[in-house]
Amino acid sequence: MEVCNLPLSPSQRAKLVSAGYTTIFSLSSISPLDLARDLNVSHNEAAQILKIALQSTRFDQSINNNASIVTGGQTAWDMLREEQFITRITTSCEDLDNILGGGINCQEVTEIGGVPGIGKTQMGIQLAVNVQIPLECGGLGGKAIYIDTEGSFMVERVFQIAEACIEDLLESRVFQQQDYQACRERMQPKTFLTNIFYFRVCSYTEQIALINYLEKFITENRDVKIVIIDSITFHFRQDFDDLALRTRVLSGMALKLMKLAKSFSLAIVLLNQVTTKFTEGSFQLTLALGDSWSHACTNRVILYWNGSERFAYLDKSPSLRSASAPYSVTSNLWNDELCHPYLWAHFKRSIMLLGASSWLTHRGSFRSVAV
Amino acid sequence: MKPENLLNLSSHKCTTGCLTLDKFLSGGIPCNSITEIVSESGCGKTQISLQFLLSAQLPISHGGLSSSSLFIHSEYPFPFRRLHQLTLSFLSSNPNVFSSSYNPLDHIFVRDVQSAEELIGLLAQIDRFIENPPSPLPVRLIVIDSIAALFRSEFDNTPKDLKRRSSLFFKIASMLKLQAKKFNLAVLITNQVVDFIGNDVVNGMRVGNLGCLYTSGRRVCPALGLSWANCVNSRLFMSRNVEIVGKETDLEEPIGGVRTRRKLQVVFAPHLPESSCEFVVLREGVFGVDS
Repeated sequence: MEVCNLPLSPSQRAKLVSAGYTTIFSLSSISPLDLARDLNVSHNEAAQILKIALQSTRFDQSINNNASIVTGGQTAWDMLREEQFITRITTSCEDLDNILGGGINCQEVTEIGGVPGIGKTQMGIQLAVNVQIPLECGGLGGKAIYIDTEGSFMVERVFQIAEACIEDLLESRVFQQQDYQACRERMQPKTFLTNIFYFRVCSYTEQIALINYLEKFITENRDVKIVIIDSITFHFRQDFDDLALRTRVLSGMALKLMKLAKSFSLAIVLLNQVTTKFTEGSFQLTLALGDSWSHACTNRVILYWNGSERFAYLDKSPSLRSASAPYSVTSNLWNDELCHPYLWAHFKRSIMLLGASSWLTHRGSFRSVAV
Repeated sequence: MKPENLLNLSSHKCTTGCLTLDKFLSGGIPCNSITEIVSESGCGKTQISLQFLLSAQLPISHGGLSSSSLFIHSEYPFPFRRLHQLTLSFLSSNPNVFSSSYNPLDHIFVRDVQSAEELIGLLAQIDRFIENPPSPLPVRLIVIDSIAALFRSEFDNTPKDLKRRSSLFFKIASMLKLQAKKFNLAVLITNQVVDFIGNDVVNGMRVGNLGCLYTSGRRVCPALGLSWANCVNSRLFMSRNVEIVGKETDLEEPIGGVRTRRKLQVVFAPHLPESSCEFVVLREGVFGVDS
């Protein structure tokens, strides 16, 4: 390190250089008295210069130590410690939270897929609301970005879900009287609505442009804790004759999303459609966008019908085992007889742990997952 | 790129013209969204489409869109006489809304298409028409009756053809959604059904609230399969079942001791719960029956 990089006044630097002290190393073994004489400055000033030089060398060394590992590298121990502080967003369904290890993970990309009408959009809206549960109620108190490619996002539904969520929060907490009033006033469905940044996207070029823009947007809105794309698929199922090109575009997008999740510590939720795949002379069900896409997400949840019950199946996760859990889509407004005024009602406890039985290997039926 | 303010995002609905059905659909069919009605022939899907063409003209205070509408049909012939009949009852049931010289037929534009390519060609230049409609009312409703007829003949049951077909579905849906967003349109599409044949895994798969769809005592599934189901925002199913009537008197006139019960059900919709509503088709139009 050069002397001229030290945080000294220009005159001091000039004196050091003209006296022959050009590197910090040359200052390392000299006494303040000698330096004062060489530079023709006071003893105090010389001591000050040496002190600054010493501090810089220490700083320099600590940088060098870190640089010995590749920049940004981390030990597994650090990562494990960090993981304990990763926050999760509840799905409001206890069983589903359990198989997900507590909810949708921040810092990760989670894909949720299923047939039309199974409740993907409902799940997306629910998460956009749940991310806003205030810190004192055990939530994240964050904001949401909702990217709508299909046009299924209905404001009236968001309003209902927000209302149900507020009701539930107020019920589940024992408040002091004035606390209750204050909370009630603070938590308005309208506030929940204004904390969802809604983007409607009408083509795949727009979708790519928006995802490129997200980084800037989130830098300006640091409290965004979840990005929901409903659905990632829609615009990629037309106009792509060149499937290799589609794969490249998609994996570029997936990389950007993963980077966002990591660097801003937020959850990315991608909703995906189901399609049929022609193999070995028969049609099988699979999530859309092909095999290479299935590597793009950290977690993959498949929603399916089991008889007349809805089930969620954790198909892929680096740390949790595959399992399925029942859930339901309900509403406090339409179904008064339902005991729980909630979207994803807490169902009877029945988590079924499954072995390696894969969803795809069973021809065309989600049903066979449940043993 | 700026996020839209959800508080200002309109969720206009187009009324059905019947209070019971409106209550069932929570106000009618939503704008900026594609609603599909699936049923076998003769159930009443064209009837209700025609009714929407008229009720869209009602002022917003009456639940309508105060708009003219575009009817794209692929099934022949266009039921002009029936539309005329409905017009008369529409005017007499809304006596103080329109001036005496108002003719609802002036605000309905009809166009026929014969193939999927033709429909895509039409949709590609439709914004010019919507921007300058030949009517003082803006266009806020597009009805396509029916989508299935466009895809019935041309395609083989080979993977290659199916892929080409589903690519067309997504193209049509995305063009419609783009226009729906741009002009805040309500889009209504009718679809046919096909008989369910045992061991058909893909068609037999449950989509939406209803495990199996039954009409006229047969098990059916919506035409065009799973990929098309991914293209629409809401799907409604109309069924018809013939019942032998006992001694009870009922709403519809029993013909030889037999009556038809018609039902409208929500298969899936982002804003509607699982529910169903009985309806009748009368001379004056389609009406819901309070249960």
